[in-house]
Amino acid sequence: MKARKLGLLLSSIVLMLLIAACGNGSDPAAEGAAEDKGSEKQAEQQEYKDELNIALTAQPPTLDTALTVSAVALDTAGNIFEQLYTLNANYEPVPALAESVERSEDGLTYTFALRQGVNFHNGKEMTSEDVVASMNRWLVTSSRAKVLLTNAKFEAVDTYTVKLTVETPTSDVLILIASQAQFPSIMPKEIVDAAPADGIKEYIGTGPYKFQEWKQDQYIHLVRNDDYQQVSDAEPSGFDGRKEAPAKDLYFHFVTDHSTRIAGVKTGQYDVADSIPIESYDELAADNNINLLSFPGGALTAFFNTSEGLLKDVKIRQAILAAFNNEEIMLASFAKPDLYSLAPGYLNTNQVQWSTEAGAEYYNQSNPEKAKQLLQEAGYNGEEITLLTTKDYNEMYTATLVIQEQLRQIGMNVKVENFDFPTFLETKNDRSKWDIFVASTGYQLTPPQLLAVNPDWAGLDNETVKQALIDIRGAATPEAAKQEWEKLQGFLYEFASSTVIGHYNGVVATTKKLEGFELFEAPVVWNAKVAK
Amino acid sequence: MLAYITKRLLSLIPVLAVVTIAIFLIIHITPGNPAAAILGMEASEEEIQQLNQDLGLDRPILEQYTSWVANVFKGDLGDSIFMKQPVSEAIAEHITPTLSLAILAQVIAILLAIPFGIIAAYKRGSIADYTLMGISLLGMALPSFLLGLFLMLFVGVKLQWLPVAGYEPLSSGLWEHMKYLILPGISLGTIQAALITRMTRSSMLEVLNLNFIKTARSKGLHEMKVLFKHAFRSAFLPILTVIGQTFGTLVTGAVVVEAIFNIPGLGQLILNSIARRDFAVIQGVVLVVTLMYVTINLIIDLLYGAVDPRVRLDRK
Repeated sequence: MKARKLGLLLSSIVLMLLIAACGNGSDPAAEGAAEDKGSEKQAEQQEYKDELNIALTAQPPTLDTALTVSAVALDTAGNIFEQLYTLNANYEPVPALAESVERSEDGLTYTFALRQGVNFHNGKEMTSEDVVASMNRWLVTSSRAKVLLTNAKFEAVDTYTVKLTVETPTSDVLILIASQAQFPSIMPKEIVDAAPADGIKEYIGTGPYKFQEWKQDQYIHLVRNDDYQQVSDAEPSGFDGRKEAPAKDLYFHFVTDHSTRIAGVKTGQYDVADSIPIESYDELAADNNINLLSFPGGALTAFFNTSEGLLKDVKIRQAILAAFNNEEIMLASFAKPDLYSLAPGYLNTNQVQWSTEAGAEYYNQSNPEKAKQLLQEAGYNGEEITLLTTKDYNEMYTATLVIQEQLRQIGMNVKVENFDFPTFLETKNDRSKWDIFVASTGYQLTPPQLLAVNPDWAGLDNETVKQALIDIRGAATPEAAKQEWEKLQGFLYEFASSTVIGHYNGVVATTKKLEGFELFEAPVVWNAKVAK
Repeated sequence: MLAYITKRLLSLIPVLAVVTIAIFLIIHITPGNPAAAILGMEASEEEIQQLNQDLGLDRPILEQYTSWVANVFKGDLGDSIFMKQPVSEAIAEHITPTLSLAILAQVIAILLAIPFGIIAAYKRGSIADYTLMGISLLGMALPSFLLGLFLMLFVGVKLQWLPVAGYEPLSSGLWEHMKYLILPGISLGTIQAALITRMTRSSMLEVLNLNFIKTARSKGLHEMKVLFKHAFRSAFLPILTVIGQTFGTLVTGAVVVEAIFNIPGLGQLILNSIARRDFAVIQGVVLVVTLMYVTINLIIDLLYGAVDPRVRLDRK
């Protein structure tokens, strides 16, 4: 009897599901018909969808921009929050929530006049107390602000004026405040005061979109801020200019699998797909419904252990540098010559202020004979060196394998240690465990922000470097600063503490129907809309 | 019956103790920590240590374990470091997509497997038998993600009948819910079906040779009645075991298929949490998955008694 009841139950479930499946089987056809009607209308008047779907590579750890350097977090949060200053397409700091700034004669105080009548998403007006609280928090949470603006302080002058005092006069204060990595979001004072160590929980900014919902491991949903007050009337340029917010809803989906991102943008489920892997480039380039956009993604850099082990000897490092064939490494890592370029500069080659060829004689030498000679002079005797890497970043792993082979060619005994990314990071901090690692990192805006000169990053603790950084920041004119940087970049190559391997482009795929989209340091979607 | 259930439940305690201690040790011995995952590649060591301290991850491992166990007994699985929500909440959110997918895949598997298995057994040695067994062998050898990718390309991208990836909860409507699950459901279900088909066939073959089937036939019963009422019912026990086991596998997370189709289920949760070193979530999910696996097995054992009255569980 029980069995019969069970059977009945099972079969009724099956039947229900079947009916559900069949009953709705015709829906896609109906949807198709609806779309056809849409395209008829299109001829008369262009209509746009009121939502935009963006496929990101991962879920951000937080949207608290002052805490994280995670690109997916900053890409999303840039729609919610705004800064005092921001960057235009020429990488120049331009006012956003601030109206103007006045720098004192001695370069120690900056007085910002704030825009009036700007409201937060909770309806409260932005005043100096909010700005002071947000900026002072950023000064102690952002790793760059901590190092480059030590002991700086924001104070309120009156309701719409704030004053920043810095310890030493430098030329890069505004660009630090405007940069995108760990950017200082302006948010209400109450939220800043209540912020726990691992990040704010309420995302209230002044931007063109408001935070609506975060579905764990699925998406972040933002909705248009209908009360948004334009901070600039200029033509959109970089992060500056008008923000029209034509799409009512923004969905940032977390789609880890790249084939899923690609399939999604092909079918129109996603309008923008971030980080397209190189092996899919040709396939998508041949698709008539897809636009492929590329942008200067960053530099692939090899870092040498200058503080411990065999590579403490500068001769050995110079030998390794002589052995590097960068063309070979870049081709293996990025597959298509269109997607990378070779240049010794550590910063974005498009950024005229800092672009320099200094150190070129040590770059891409591809000279095994010289390398062997140097190894012999250093008394190298077959000691094993360790290359640290992670398969989580394909280009880093591939580059490491090519380097291993190139170093074997000059007679070195080379071992590769591969870990998952979190383990890689932790192992990197223990300098007794590695000799070389390769990292692909996005561009920094100024030399002092570079990982290659940061002692925490790969252990480069050198007085010449430290003094050069002070000279760059204290230089009276941009030209003088550039000269100091040229000297430093030349020194980095001569000292062989690291080397740029090459510069790579990031690739983003969008549907052809997308308009008003811009790819700057991040996908800029606040003026983007998709034709129906 | 009650005594049997109690005994089975008590035997759970050592299982869970071993599982939790093992997972706790593995997680904490593995390098990498959640603070680094939150702060990103460029964070300094000092910042990471500060956050570890704030999160209580610098305490001795034994102390962390005992306080975790004590909290579990109070029904508190802790908080996710990365997602900043209680672990129980995170699991509850991620378990519904997995359950929906598992049920759909299981239904597809049963609908395919049982008729095929019976036909193969009944027409033993025929072309139909060989074809079905050949296909099922292929099915067992094919990884579900490969089938999944193929379905995604063909049905999703080429024909555009169904969305390629994503998930909508049941509250958005049955069809909205189902249309995201059909492709992953088929890729999981057909693979499971292969196993169940083979089990059904061999179990049926055994029964079809028994005397009571001959008796039934000689009574002049209709062949369908002989097959389903007499033979299938007796052959069902081993089939049920396989169904139970496959369901256990499905529910505890189809990691790869969930990743391909971007379904925010338990498999995705544990995969992401490992990458994020979100200790509390990993521990919580492992605990819940172990519990579920054991419970499903218990239910299957109890169902034996319901399906076949000859099985008496409490007489040992």
